[in-house]
Amino acid sequence: MIRLLLAVSIILAGSLAEAQTDTNHINTDSIDVLLADSTVTATLVLQLSEDSTRILLDWTTGDSINVILERAGNDSVFATIGSFDPTITSFTDSGVSPGDWYMYRLLNGDSMKDLGAGASVEVPFPIEESRFFRTERTNALLLFLFYAATIVGYISIAKRGAQLFIRKIAGLDAVDEAVGRATEMGRKVLYIPGIMSVDNIQTVASMSILGYVAGKTASYGTNLEVPNKDPLVLATAREVVKEAYLKAGRPDYYNDDMVNYVSYDQFAFTAAIQGLMTREKPATNFLIGSFYAESLIMAEAGNASGAIQVAGTAELAQLPFFVVACDYTLIGEELYAASAYLSREPLILGSIKGQDLAKAVLVGLIILGVILSTSGQQWFADFFIQR
Amino acid sequence: MSDAMKIGGIDKRWVYLLVAIGALIPIIKPLGLPVLSTPAVEALFEKIESLEPGDVIMLSFDYGPSSAPELDPMAESILRHCFQRDISVVVVALFPLGGDNQAKIALNKIVPEFPVVEGEDYVYLGYKDGGLAVLRRMAEDISIVFPQDNRGIPLEDIPLMQRVQNYSDTELSVSLATGIMGEWWAILVNAQFGQPVAVGATAVSAPKYYAYLKAGQMLSLLGGLKGAAEYETLIGEHYPELKERSQIATRGMDVQSIVHLIIIGFIILGNIVYLISRSERTRAGGRLASK
Amino acid sequence: MRRQIAVLLCFLTGFFVVVAFFIEQDPIPDINEKLDELLVIVFAFALVLGVVSFLQHHSKKIRRRDKGWTSSVISISSLVIMALLGIFESSIRGTGVIGDRTTFDWVFNWVFTPLQATMFSLLAFMIASAAFRAFRIKNIEAAVLMVAAIIVMLGRVSIGQVIFPQSLAISEWIMNNPNLAAQRGILIGAALGAASMAIRVILGIERPYM
Repeated sequence: MIRLLLAVSIILAGSLAEAQTDTNHINTDSIDVLLADSTVTATLVLQLSEDSTRILLDWTTGDSINVILERAGNDSVFATIGSFDPTITSFTDSGVSPGDWYMYRLLNGDSMKDLGAGASVEVPFPIEESRFFRTERTNALLLFLFYAATIVGYISIAKRGAQLFIRKIAGLDAVDEAVGRATEMGRKVLYIPGIMSVDNIQTVASMSILGYVAGKTASYGTNLEVPNKDPLVLATAREVVKEAYLKAGRPDYYNDDMVNYVSYDQFAFTAAIQGLMTREKPATNFLIGSFYAESLIMAEAGNASGAIQVAGTAELAQLPFFVVACDYTLIGEELYAASAYLSREPLILGSIKGQDLAKAVLVGLIILGVILSTSGQQWFADFFIQR
Repeated sequence: MSDAMKIGGIDKRWVYLLVAIGALIPIIKPLGLPVLSTPAVEALFEKIESLEPGDVIMLSFDYGPSSAPELDPMAESILRHCFQRDISVVVVALFPLGGDNQAKIALNKIVPEFPVVEGEDYVYLGYKDGGLAVLRRMAEDISIVFPQDNRGIPLEDIPLMQRVQNYSDTELSVSLATGIMGEWWAILVNAQFGQPVAVGATAVSAPKYYAYLKAGQMLSLLGGLKGAAEYETLIGEHYPELKERSQIATRGMDVQSIVHLIIIGFIILGNIVYLISRSERTRAGGRLASK
Repeated sequence: MRRQIAVLLCFLTGFFVVVAFFIEQDPIPDINEKLDELLVIVFAFALVLGVVSFLQHHSKKIRRRDKGWTSSVISISSLVIMALLGIFESSIRGTGVIGDRTTFDWVFNWVFTPLQATMFSLLAFMIASAAFRAFRIKNIEAAVLMVAAIIVMLGRVSIGQVIFPQSLAISEWIMNNPNLAAQRGILIGAALGAASMAIRVILGIERPYM
């Protein structure tokens, strides 16, 4: 009894400290039940906590009696949630959910009759306060600022004329050779910019490489075809190819039909590409961008037609297929480094170097995290959890 | 015949023919090979087993006809399991090219097997475009995204949806996904809203989901036809009356077994031919050098 | 001038989307959502461009009787038929789970769906020829790759558990450990590369859209 008194007192003290009045959705009418006790008067008052997660109940009875507090939910079936002696006149119900109705009534603890004191409330959904900054994403902000700083820093170094080294990427070295092969054989170059739309960063990277390839085909006078699955990519690719031909001084070699639309359906597009490779036997195939299940079908069809194939994607599941079926494959970040590698522009090279520095720091953090987590220090790894 | 059509001196079409024969034989004469379940699949089965009658799960059809052979058996098994245990299902379709169709096909097949009532035991809300935006909005209020179900009935008039406002009113979300959509459920619905998520993926996509499974962002992963067959096996072990109906993926595993053996056979054969020709070249090179 | 406007627009929208990831104050989340919706609207208009390109490309092939021109006839016919069916039957489509019996649905269920399934099935044959070509023991690494591939292939199928019962456990270990480690490494590198590319595009250092 003393422990119960102490517990209820603590709950009462805590909840009274936070209690706010919210009368928007409170109904204090008595709830009619059978077996009413007309000998004792009682009142029941109900308040919602400020955060709408608790219901605070206070009651008074005319006589000093034991009371039983009952609660019903949406199903209107009452169940006892507490029995109290005359000294206790309040209770905090914490097990409530937003959007649900709750009804309470008091019973005489001795006669089990309804005291005629009840109240009900629908718990509203909490109103989300509009915050300025999402503090749970502080980790992402810090990492982003660090990363941006390394890239901008190296771009500044590049601007000052520093010679920046970038390792050899065989697939990109082969681009000139591949286009030259098509020119010699008198057959076309087929460039497939992936199947995702222009909001996918791999497609954006593919457009950079397309510009370079189109410049080469313009210079050599080689046929180029760029079939597309996505209409936005069609529009972008047309601009890129047209611009490349203009820059190469061969605008007369360009026609809109070089960059055409096939189908939005993944496998209809694949069937069309497979047919094109089989019938027209392009000398060189570029499969650069975001691919999914169709990657192996296209790559094998190109392999069977005897073309030299350069592929590039950051889709992990498709990389093994390209490695097996293509002559050269750009793996993951090599795709994004292609524009820097091909153009050798100092500013873009600088961003690659900055990216490398960030990766080195990240590797160090991973090693540190592994050591700390293994020794039971979880706080470091917890900092990097996405929220 | 160009060299590109040959591999190791063998015409590719012989390889294709053998694979085709290997795929046909188990279809004509099932082998009945056993399927052992793995923890990744058992996790979903146990989760649904732990639910009480009346609990609600969300099932999202995020695939089209091309992935149907692998993901339809998963959908059917999960629906059977839920209806058998009186667990209510809110069905949505988020894949633009065929998701709606696949949802209807699955429901058309499974609903008549059980005494379930649309609107009370299950509801199909239809297809909605928007990807991540839709998933985000459903965390707030499903009726913002789907104001009515596929029959055109407003959600507030549907008994099941009167007790389901958002993810927190469901016990689990299951996404049967092709491509990137399964990842969206893991990184958004689970990581940001704390909703338990299970994903059924095609075999080619399944490897990339292991990272999410290991990180705890997914409760369970059903990978490809094997994942579907494992779930069917678990259903058959616990509910023998459903065993006969849940056999599609299990029969498909016979086909997969034979085809895998054929491919392994070709790999070994190819390596034997390669090693023999390499040693002959080495010997021929040695004889030339000594002359 | 046109170029400067394009670069400025790219910078402003890119910067805004980055800021919206961190800032929750109204009206930023609403504007962010509107940008997503804008993409869908632009896509719809671009689709018209795509269809026009499709018709031009195939009608040119038909006019010139290029190789495979009959396929172009089928392509254009399919587009026109499905479009007309979709437009004229949209008012009589059923709305229940059971009951869609229009010609459009029939063509989708009995022509399009089997064709899609057929194309996806080609993967089985392509995998066979690719595996036969790829797994040659040219060096130690290739030998390790081949052994791992065989174990995983056995572990993934029922018969593997009959022939080599440990294959399931070993293949699970391979998928959950070395495979996952390699995938994570490539994923981290690719993510950094993507972020670097995005920063370059936003800052206007790289302009692949022009």
